[in-house]
Parts: sequence; C-alpha cells; structure tokens
Amino acid sequence: MTSLEAHGLIVDVPGRASGRPLDLRMAPGERWGVLGPNGAGKTTLLHTLAGLRVPRGGEVHLEGRALSRWRRREVARRLGVVFQERHDEFPASVLETALIGRHPYLSPWQREGETDIARAREALRHLELEHLEDRLVSSLSGGERQRVSLATVLTQAPCWWLVDEPTNHLDLHHQVATMALLEQQARQGCGVVMCLHDLNLAARWCSHLLLLYPDGEACWGAARDMLVPEALERLYNQALTTVDVDGAPVFVPVR
Amino acid sequence: MSDAETRRGIPTGTWPLVLLALAALLSQGLALALGSVSLSPDALLAVLGGGGESLHRTLVLDLRLPRALAAFGTGALLALAGALMQVLLRNPLADPYVLGLSGGASVSALLAMLAGLGGGLVAGAAFGGALASTLIVFGLAHGTGSWTPTRMLLTGVVMAAGWSALISFLLAVSPVEQLPGMLYWLMGDLSYAGSPWLVLGVAALSLVVMAPLGRTLNVLARGGMQAAALGVAVRPLEWTLYLVASLLTAVAVTTAGSIGFVGLMVPHMLRLQLGNDQRLILPASLLAGGTLLTLADTLARTLIAPQQLPVGVITALLGVPSFLYLLYRSR
Amino acid sequence: MKYLLYGIGLLALAGPVWAVPCVTDDMGREVCLPAPAERIVALSPGVTELLYAAGAGDRLVGAVSFSDYPPEAADLPRVGSYDRLDLEALLALSPDLVVAWAGGNPEQQLERLPELGAPVFFSDAADFDAIASSLERLAALAGSEAEGHEAAEHLRGEVAELRARHADSAPVDVFYQIWESPLMTINGEHWISQTLALCGGVNLFAEQSSLVPRIGVEAVLARDPEAIITGGMGKADSTWLEAWRDFPDMTAVRRDNLFFVNPDLVQRATPRLLEGTRQICHHLEVVRERR
Repeated sequence: MTSLEAHGLIVDVPGRASGRPLDLRMAPGERWGVLGPNGAGKTTLLHTLAGLRVPRGGEVHLEGRALSRWRRREVARRLGVVFQERHDEFPASVLETALIGRHPYLSPWQREGETDIARAREALRHLELEHLEDRLVSSLSGGERQRVSLATVLTQAPCWWLVDEPTNHLDLHHQVATMALLEQQARQGCGVVMCLHDLNLAARWCSHLLLLYPDGEACWGAARDMLVPEALERLYNQALTTVDVDGAPVFVPVR
Repeated sequence: MSDAETRRGIPTGTWPLVLLALAALLSQGLALALGSVSLSPDALLAVLGGGGESLHRTLVLDLRLPRALAAFGTGALLALAGALMQVLLRNPLADPYVLGLSGGASVSALLAMLAGLGGGLVAGAAFGGALASTLIVFGLAHGTGSWTPTRMLLTGVVMAAGWSALISFLLAVSPVEQLPGMLYWLMGDLSYAGSPWLVLGVAALSLVVMAPLGRTLNVLARGGMQAAALGVAVRPLEWTLYLVASLLTAVAVTTAGSIGFVGLMVPHMLRLQLGNDQRLILPASLLAGGTLLTLADTLARTLIAPQQLPVGVITALLGVPSFLYLLYRSR
Repeated sequence: MKYLLYGIGLLALAGPVWAVPCVTDDMGREVCLPAPAERIVALSPGVTELLYAAGAGDRLVGAVSFSDYPPEAADLPRVGSYDRLDLEALLALSPDLVVAWAGGNPEQQLERLPELGAPVFFSDAADFDAIASSLERLAALAGSEAEGHEAAEHLRGEVAELRARHADSAPVDVFYQIWESPLMTINGEHWISQTLALCGGVNLFAEQSSLVPRIGVEAVLARDPEAIITGGMGKADSTWLEAWRDFPDMTAVRRDNLFFVNPDLVQRATPRLLEGTRQICHHLEVVRERR
C-alpha cells in the first residue's frame, strides 16, 4: 500500500475555477508525467501532492492515510521533492547540501555520521558531482545546481519522487542521465511524478501522463493512451506533427 | 576531528570555538586591565587574587568587571539574535533591529526619560517597547493573507521608519539637558548596564534552547518549502525563532541601548570564514559578538579617556572596515 | 539691507529722536537702535533673565520655551525653542530688538532677522564680568540705563567681596557633576569652573578640551575629589549624590562632602549665579571644616 492517491483533489490556483477534481492512484514503479501549458498549475499540483500546499478540496493519501494526518518528518522519509526554485542566499558546499537529505532520519542531537556521508557521496557520484563536493553551491552553473538538488533527494532516498522540471538547465547528456536515474528509481519500486515541459521527454520516459488544462480540466491515464495528437494540440493550443523515431512518437510544433 | 574532514564541509567546529573562547577570555582580561587608570598586570593579578590596593579593587571588581561581563553578554545576545533573524528571514542582511525592534524600544525608553523616570524604569520601558514592536510587526505581517519572509521584512522596515520619525519628534520636543542622555542611549552605551547576570543568563539559556535546532535551521536556510519537504515543521519553528530573537534583542537593548552592527556583522563575518552550519555559527556568534562588544567598549572607555565615547560608534568603526575587507576578499 | 534702512527710517519718523542707543554685542558687532527698544524678544531662558535683571522686563514681548525666571517670564508669548525658532511667531510680535544667544540659537535662522527688520544683539555672557557688562549694554538698548547700571554695580561689588573673602582659602579638589547618565562635568573654560575658583575650589577636570565633557566613573575615582557638587534633575533632587555612596573609599564620600546646588542658580550665566556661587563657597567652607 505505498501508493500515492488523490481523492477529489482540487489544487488551489488563485483566481481560477476549481475545474475537474482529480481522482487518481499512482502506484510504485509508475513514472507519471504532468503536462500542461504555463500557468496550468503543474507546480501547484506537485506541491499539493507533497503536502506542502493545502488543496482547495479533496485529499492526498499516502499509503492509504491522508497526508494531513502524517507527521511531516515521516512524510519526508517517504516522499522527496526536487524544486524548481532554490534558495542559495547562504553559503553551503555541495556535500553539505546533499547531506541535508539525511535530515528526516536524524534526531535533533545527532550529527551526520559516516554512513550518512557515504550515502551523500554515493548520490553525488551518481550525478557526476563528486569532484565538486567542496565547492559552494552558489558558484555552480544552473545545470550543476539542478544535479545537486537531485543528489539531495537521492540521499534522502524516498519511495516517492516528486520532481518539478527534472531536466531544467541540463545539457542533453545529463537530461538523459537524469531521466534514466528516475527510471531506475521506478524500477527499484519507487513512484515518480514529474512536471515536464518537453512533450518528447514525457513520451519517451513516462509510463503515465496527467494533462492539465488552463481552465482546470484534466485527464489522465497510461502514456500510450494519452499521447493523442489532437488532445495534445488542444492542451498547448498549438498544431503538431508526429514522426516516429526508435518506435516512439516525436512531436514537432508546426510553424 | 581532522582537518581534511572539516574541509569537506562537516565541521564539528571544535577548533574555531576554542579559538573564539580564548579570544573572549583575552578580551575580558583587556577590559579589566585598561581604563582611565592603567593597571599593571601585577596589580591586576593581585586584585583578581583577592588582594591589591583598595582603589584598584574598586576599579576592577566594582566598575570594570560587571561592565565587561555586561558588554560580553550584550554582544553575545545581539550576534545570536542576528544569526537567528538572518535564518528566519532567509536574508543574510537582516539584523536584530531590522524589524523595528530597537525603534520600539527607543521610543519607549525616550518617553520614560522624558517623564523623568530612573534607570530601572527606562530599561523596563525599553523592554516593553521592544516586545510591543515585535507583536505589532508580527500581527501586521501575518495580516489577512499568507506570511512570507519578504512581507515580514517589509513590514519591519516600514515600522522602523515610523519609529525613527517618532524618535526625531521626541528629540525635537525634549528639553536640552535631557538630550545627551537620550542621544547616548540611542547610540548604545554600556554605562547604563547594571548587573551583567541577566544578559549572561539569557545568552546561555538561549544557546541551550537553540542547540538541538541547529541542523533544522540549516535546512530552513534553504527556504521554507525545501525545509518542509525535508520534514521540518516550518511554521512553529519560525514562530520560535522570531520570539527567541526578539526576546534576545529586547534584553540586549534594555541593557545597553541600541548598539548597531554587531548583530548584522558578526554572523555574516563568521559565515564568510566558517560556512553556514548553524551548529557552529550560533555558538561562534555568541562568543565573537561578546568579544567584539567587550573590545569595543574597552576602546570606548579608554580611547580619549577620561572622556567616554558611545560604544555603538566604536562597533561601527571597528566592524565596518573589517566587514568590507572580508566581503571584498570573499569575491 | 534696503528694507532695514527703510524700516529704520520709518521708525525715526515715527517717534521723537532722543539719544540713539549704540552698543557692541558679544560678537563684537555694533548694534544701534533709532530709539530705545519697546518690543524685545529674548531667545534663551538665560537672556530672558538678563533682560529682566537689566530692568527691561516690561518691554519683553516674547521668549522661548523653558524661560521660567522670573516667574512672570512664564507668561510671555513663545517663539519656539532656543534651538528651533518659530520665525513667523517672532516676526508677528514685530520686535524692534531681538536678543539672541550666540552659539545656542541656529545661525541660519538668525541671519535672516536683520533683513526682516529686527536688529539682533548677540549675547554670550560666560562669566561675572560679562554678565555685568551685558546688564549695562542691554539696559542701554532698552532705555533703562539706571536700573541696568545699578544691577551691574551690585553684582560687581558682591563678586569682589566674595573673591576677597576666599582669596586666601585653602584649595579644595572638586568634581562638579552636570549630569548623571551620561556622567558629565565641565572644563576650565566653563563659568562654573571660574565660580569654583572664586571660592577656592579646583575643578579636577579643568584640562579637558570640550566645554562639557562626558567622562567615566573610573576617572572620578582615580582623581579622588574632596568634594562632589551637583545640580540634579530637578530643583531639589539629590538622588545623583546618593549613587556616589557606592564608593565609600572616596575622600568626598568618607567625609560626606556631597553637595547639591539648585542647577538654575549655577547653570545659567545670569545674576542668579551670584546666589549659586554663595552656596558653593559655603559648601567649600564646610569641606575645609571637615578636614
């Protein structure tokens, strides 16, 4: 029962009608992509699923229990979030930043031990950051920071990954590496929910899709059922042509 | 703890704290030895050993010691409050006074002076004013909508501007013989400090209260959302931080008037040197803030002795160049 | 300047021209009036006292805040405080003489007065001689020469007598406390220091560079005064003295030489300083008896 479920969920996007309530069940091993135009509420939905925002209506259930009834610390052991925005006002090294992923597991008086540090280093190595561990995060490039955020959640080792734009700022190689990392997590029994801008990444890497329309309407299901050009054209209000590459559809906007 | 390990960003921070503690002791020694009357180390040791001339005993034990301890305690409180405020507002430029706290304390203290009340009542009024300002800012920042650090900062800055207008008004209407006392109070002055035990006690207590929160504060410094995602109960933590920092500032202002720069610069300077692990920064701020204010007050007493300077002037004169230097060097 | 001449011309036409009063003020400037002043505004509490003592009280039409002596001065219309003058209120009184406090009033505001038609006498009395001469000069401008001269001569006589009586008195080391927090005293240039000297007192902080220096308690202990004299917050408030009893080893405390004088009698340079000086001389006599 490690599923993440939305029961009649209406996310609270200020100034927008409630639209269609979400009733869906996301199971471990699934990779959910949330698609939608700017302002459709993708990030708000992700934060609501993580319990960081109060929904306008409905509930999010984790392992069959409403998120609001969980202790925050217990949630943090099961559910990790990669944010789009980061706060780097204060100096912090890459290793320190990855290490905060251990916070939910440590008691107030406890310091990060050898195993915690080993986990953080392992996560950094996974994201090809091991040579940067002493650098200040604020001195890194956007793509490197994005990988530090992923490494932090990898250190946190949750069973649910909620990722806002996983490929933000990443070059092609690291885009693929990151999606492969998320796929690997799913294979190991984690659930993954990611907000995506790139239709083709979604087509390539997601098992399920949730389409969010600007007016609050939504539809969801298995990726192959959702990747209908007409639905996608309506979603983005943009004409598309479809080509087949490697047996997967690739969507290209029409000029 | 090996050097290599500290470099990798997990300092237990033993050695910086030991160094800072030594500096603190040294500053206390200097404060006891220096004054309008210069004392030889022998004479000082004699007094500390329980002997010495009667005048020397009075100077060291009755005048300098309580004042040096009060200076240490006040500096420690201000630096600690600054460090906490900076994490609370996620803004390294926040200081204990940024939310208008000292303004409220000042207006209230000046009113008490204007009413001809004595030292103890002025201190009490300052404390009340600081807490009133705290509650006003928190109430207004909360408002009808959501609470954000930016909104709180803005509320505090505007409140501070309001208080400073009231201060100017009070100075304008006060009789001339009251003005020096008022101006010295506004610039911060440890000659008002009575017994040092309140500030020292509050400083020690707050360190104990804050110690288990160190790592949680590290997480909070990455932003409220991030902290919540990592299991921090953000809202209660922010309340605690705000109340503790306000209380510390109120006690400090009550003891020595509004002394600027310590709360802003000490945590910031330490952060440039030691990184931003609150488990290290908080005790280090306490020690360094205390040391800085003790040295500044010793200078204020001796620089143009027997004339006395307000200590706030010295903290600024000492702090600003060293701060700028560190900032420049840190790129 | 044109308006000033015009104004003087009008005044000259308006009344009979007697002796034209001309005096030198404390800034060394010549102040001449077409006729004795009828409407005088005083810009400090001390100057107000001087004018009353010079017999010009009935010609005063305005004063500043805290002008409380003699008691009838409290009823005078106010023209702001000494450091922030209300020029409109001042001009509305249409004064023919303004007596300003050199160094106390804001210069920028005073500069405009002559061109607005009000001649200014700058007063900067800082010792008995200056107080006496101020009385005479102010009386000359106000047409009360006889009273002013008598007051000045009386003051000079009394001061000479005091000086003669204490010329050979044994010196007493005195700490004069102006204010408690911050602790403030006076240097050798202040008239209170000269008053102390007149009674055989030695100001322990005479060498300080500023007129009213802020000092530390430690410096007072180190200089171990034989007597401590202080004003205090109010006219009869001696709480500041009690604070010194925390240091029983001080000579002044051991011999109980802690004295209070009414600050109004010494901290304004006016004829009342004579009364304050008498009190100080009396206290120092007590100090000598307790040796």
